[in-house]
Amino acid sequence: MSEEMNKEYFKKLAKQLMFELSDEESEDIVKEFETLNKQLALLEKVNTDGVEPMVYPFEDETTFLREDEVTHVISQEDALANVKDKIEGHFILPKVVK
Amino acid sequence: MEYQATIGIEIHCELKTNTKMFSGAPCSFGRKANTCTNEIDLGQPGTMPCVNMEAVAKAIEACTALHLTIDPLVKFDRKNYYYSDLPKGFQITQQFHPIGRDGYIMIHTSEGEKKIRINRIHMEEDTAKQFHLTSKTLLDYNRAGTPLIEIVSEPDMKNGEEAQAYVEALRQTLLYLGVSDVKMEEGSMRCDVNISIAPKGSSTLGTKNEIKNINSISNVGKAIEYEIKRQADLLDRGEEIHQETRRYDDKTGETILMRRKEGTVDYKFFPEPNIVPIRLDEKWIQNIQANMNELPEEREKRYAETYGLSQHDIKILIGNKDMSEFFEEVMKSAKDAKNVCNWLLSDVSGWLNKHGETITTTKLQPQNLAKLIAMIDDGKISSKQAKEVVDDLMEGKDPEEVIKERVLNKSRMLDSLIP
Amino acid sequence: MIKEMAKDVANVKERCQEAYQKAVVLQEKLNDAITLVDPSEQLESLPEGGLFHGVPIALKDNVSTKGILTTAGSRILSNYVPVFDAEVVTKLKKEGAVIIAKASMDELAMGGTNLTCYTGPSLNPWDTKRMTGGSSGGSAALVASGVVPMAIGSDTGDSIRKPASFCGIVGVKPTYGRISRYGIIPYASSLDHVGFFTRSIEDACISLQALAGRDDRDMTSSYREVPDYLSLLDSDLTDKKIAIFGNVQDALTNETTKDLFTNLMKQLEKKGAKVDVFHFSEDLMKAMLPTYYLIANCEATSNHSNLDGIRFGVHEKGDSMEEIMTNSRTKGFGLLIRKRFVIGSYGLFEENQEKLFKKAQKVRRLIVDELNECLKEYDCLIAPASNDIAPLLNDTSRDELSDGYLIVENHMVIGNFSGYPSMTVPMGMMDGCPIGVNLTCRAFDEVTMFGIGKAIEDITGYKDLTAEVK
Repeated sequence: MSEEMNKEYFKKLAKQLMFELSDEESEDIVKEFETLNKQLALLEKVNTDGVEPMVYPFEDETTFLREDEVTHVISQEDALANVKDKIEGHFILPKVVK
Repeated sequence: MEYQATIGIEIHCELKTNTKMFSGAPCSFGRKANTCTNEIDLGQPGTMPCVNMEAVAKAIEACTALHLTIDPLVKFDRKNYYYSDLPKGFQITQQFHPIGRDGYIMIHTSEGEKKIRINRIHMEEDTAKQFHLTSKTLLDYNRAGTPLIEIVSEPDMKNGEEAQAYVEALRQTLLYLGVSDVKMEEGSMRCDVNISIAPKGSSTLGTKNEIKNINSISNVGKAIEYEIKRQADLLDRGEEIHQETRRYDDKTGETILMRRKEGTVDYKFFPEPNIVPIRLDEKWIQNIQANMNELPEEREKRYAETYGLSQHDIKILIGNKDMSEFFEEVMKSAKDAKNVCNWLLSDVSGWLNKHGETITTTKLQPQNLAKLIAMIDDGKISSKQAKEVVDDLMEGKDPEEVIKERVLNKSRMLDSLIP
Repeated sequence: MIKEMAKDVANVKERCQEAYQKAVVLQEKLNDAITLVDPSEQLESLPEGGLFHGVPIALKDNVSTKGILTTAGSRILSNYVPVFDAEVVTKLKKEGAVIIAKASMDELAMGGTNLTCYTGPSLNPWDTKRMTGGSSGGSAALVASGVVPMAIGSDTGDSIRKPASFCGIVGVKPTYGRISRYGIIPYASSLDHVGFFTRSIEDACISLQALAGRDDRDMTSSYREVPDYLSLLDSDLTDKKIAIFGNVQDALTNETTKDLFTNLMKQLEKKGAKVDVFHFSEDLMKAMLPTYYLIANCEATSNHSNLDGIRFGVHEKGDSMEEIMTNSRTKGFGLLIRKRFVIGSYGLFEENQEKLFKKAQKVRRLIVDELNECLKEYDCLIAPASNDIAPLLNDTSRDELSDGYLIVENHMVIGNFSGYPSMTVPMGMMDGCPIGVNLTCRAFDEVTMFGIGKAIEDITGYKDLTAEVK
C-alpha cells in the first residue's frame, strides 16, 4: 500500500472501475475503511502458514468438456434487443480511440 | 555504435473449431454482424462459460508439434479490464497454468539453422470486432469468444530475418496441423513483437517497445528492421528510449507511436470461479497426438526418403502445403519426382500467378501433368511442344487428346493447302 | 400444499389468477415485487402433469426470465429483458409452474436488509414497520404473506436463510452445485447458491426435486442423482447427532431467543437425538465476516464488469466509450454497490491479493476444515438464525465490530464457504414476529437436513405459517 488511502485515492480507483464517486462519497469510504481495516486485522490474526487458498467450495476436478457442435445461436434481433440504437445489425459507440 | 537486438514474439492464433471457446455458438468469418452469437458471447448477466473440447484438442496438437510439455490439468483465470470489445469486462485466459510450457521450433535463415524457444502456449478467447467510422465505432460480436491460442516465444531472435523465419515456421506448422487458418490478412493469426536494443556485448537489456498491427509475414522483417534502426538512431543521438506501444504502418514502412506505457496495467488476475480444474485423460491426449496431421519437418524427411529431391526443392514445395499435396497426387501416376517438381514450381506456378489462380482453384488435373511429363520422357513430344500445350493443360484438358487434336488440325490444315 | 395443489387440475386458472390478484393488492402494502406477471399467457400453454402443475410461484429478480424484465434490484438493469431463461426457469416451466412475480431484492444481491432495491424496500408481512431481511426479501415476503407457496431466492452469505428467519418460513440453501446457476445474475460465484422459500418441509422436498440436477452449461453443477426427497423424508431423530453452534449460542443477547432455542434443543433430545455443543476457534469465528466480505466483494467486482450500458441495460450518454461506461455505471449503481466494488477491486490488486483476497481464501479453507471436523461426528450444526426478530426499517444501531454482529448475525456464511446444505425453519414468535433456527449438514445430505427440519416442524407446529398483512 504505497499510496495514501485518502479521498483522492478512492476517486482514482473508482475511475479505473468506470464509475465516479463524489467527494462526499469518497470521504465515506475513507471512514468505512477504518472499520474495514479493523475487521481485516481479525483476518490477519489467523495463522495461514502452509494453507492453500480455497478457490472453489468443492475442489473435485471434472473431466467434462463440451462437444464442439453448434447448439445455441440467437438471432441478430435478439442480440440487439436490449439496445435502442443500432446500425446495420451493429452495436454503436462513439469512435473508439485506441 | 553497434547494437544488438533482443526480440520476442507473441502470436495469437484463432483455432478452427465449429464453436466458440466457452459457448455453443458457431465460429465464423465474414458473416452478417451479430448473427453468430448467443447470450454467453454477449456477456449477458448470469451466463457461464463451458469449455470446448475441440479447442483443447487443437491446443494440445499445437503444443505437441512445438515440443511443449503439456499440463493435463486445465485451469482458467480472469484477466480484468474494461474495453469496448470485451463483453464481460474480463477475458477468460490461462495466466497461471498455460496448457503448454517450454517448447521450441527450428528456423532456417541465411546463417543456418537456429532453435527458437517457446515459453508457453495458453488458451483464451477472442474479443469482438470493431469497425471504426468517422465518428462512430460499430461492434460485431460474431468473433467474441472464438478460441485462441497465444504462443509466447523466448526473446531468442536477434534480427528481422530470424523473426520473420520464426513466424513463417510457426505459421506453417499450425497450417499443416490444421488447427487454424493462420491467415494474417484475415486476422486468424496476429503477431505482436517486442524489441529492445542494447550496445553490442552488453549483458543488460534495453527498454522494450511493443509493435502491433503487423498484418503480413513479409512486414514482420520490415517492421523489425525499421524499429531497430529507429531505436539505434535515438540512442546514437543520446536520446532515451521510452516503453511504448507502436503500430506498424505498412504504407510508410514506419512504426508509429500508439501510446506510452505508464507503469504496468494491473489486470487483477484470479482463477475463474465458474470453471473447476479439468483433468484431461492421458489416453485422450495420446490419441490426439497419434492422429495429428503430418508436420512440415516430417514431410521434409518423407520427401527426402521417398522422392530423393534436393533440400532446396523440398523446402520450396513444403513451403506451400497445397502445392506439396498436389505434387503427391501427381506422383501417384508419375515416376520422375525432380521433373514433376520442376514443372510445378516453374511452369505451373508461373501460369497460376499470371492468371490469379492457386493450386487449389486450378482446373489442372494431377494425372494430366504426369501424362505430359511421361510423353516427354518417352520421346512422344519435345519439351518445346510440351510447353505449347500448357494453357490447355491448365484448363483441365488431357495432353494426349490435345496433342492428337493438334496433329489432326495440322494435317487438316496441310490437306487444305494441297491444291 | 404443493403436492395437493399440483393434483388439483381443475382449479389451475382460478388459483393462479387469485395469486396474481393477491400479489397486486399486497404490492401496495409490502412492495415485495419489481414486476408482477399476469399468468394468462402461461396458463394457455401449460404442459401436462409436473410437480408444480398450475402452482403459482415467484422468482427473485436476479433470475433471468425470457421476455420478462429482470433487474437484479439495480437501476442499471431497470430496462433489461433477457432473451433466455435461467435453467431453474426452464425446469420449473417444465414442471408446470406459473410465474406471477419477479421479487424485490437488495441491489445485485449485495445486502442483508432488502433496503437497497432501486424500487424501494420490501416490508415484512408480519410487521410492516420491519424489514424482511435480504437479499431475497421480496421472495420471502411473497411466500410468508401466502401469495405463492414457493419462491426462488439466492444465497451468497445468508440471503435466503436470514429473511426466512425474519419472515417465519422455510428457507433452503442446498449444496453448492445441486441447482444450476446458469442464468442467475451472479454476486460471488464461489459463494452463490440458488435456493428457495416454502412454508413446509414437504414443499421444500418437492421444490428441490424439481430444481436439482446437472446442467452442462454450469460447469460447477453436480452430476449426482437427484433423490425423491419427499419419499425419503424421515423425521425420526433416533441416533441423529446434533451439534449446537457453541460460539453463536454464547454470543446471543436476546433472552427470548436463548430460551426458544434451548427449549427446542431439549425437544430434539426428547425425540431421540443426541445434542452436544461444538465450538469453533474464536479467531476463526471473528474472521468469518471479513473473509466473506473480501471474497464476495472481490468476485462481485469482476462479475459485474459486464454492466457497462453498451449491449444491454441503462445506457447513459457520453462522448466516448469511457464516458458512456462511466456515466452508465455511476448512475446505474447505488452508492453501496460502488463502495463494495472499490473494496473488491482493492483486494484484487496484484500487490494486495496475497494479504487480502488470497488470505481470505486461505481462512475460508481453515473455517471449512473445522466444519468438517464437526460434521465428521455430527449430522448437523444448529444455531438460531439471528439474535432477534426482523429489525425495524430505520434501525441503524448495529455495531459492526461486536461479537454479536460478527458472530451471531453472520455465522450462516459457513454454509456458503463450505457449499454444504443449510436451511432455516421457523423456531418461535416474539412480539408477533417470527424467528428461525438454522441447520447445516454434510454435502449433498439434504435428506438428513429435511428430516431434522421436519422433526423441528413437528415440534413447533409451524407449518404453512402465513402472515395476515395489516
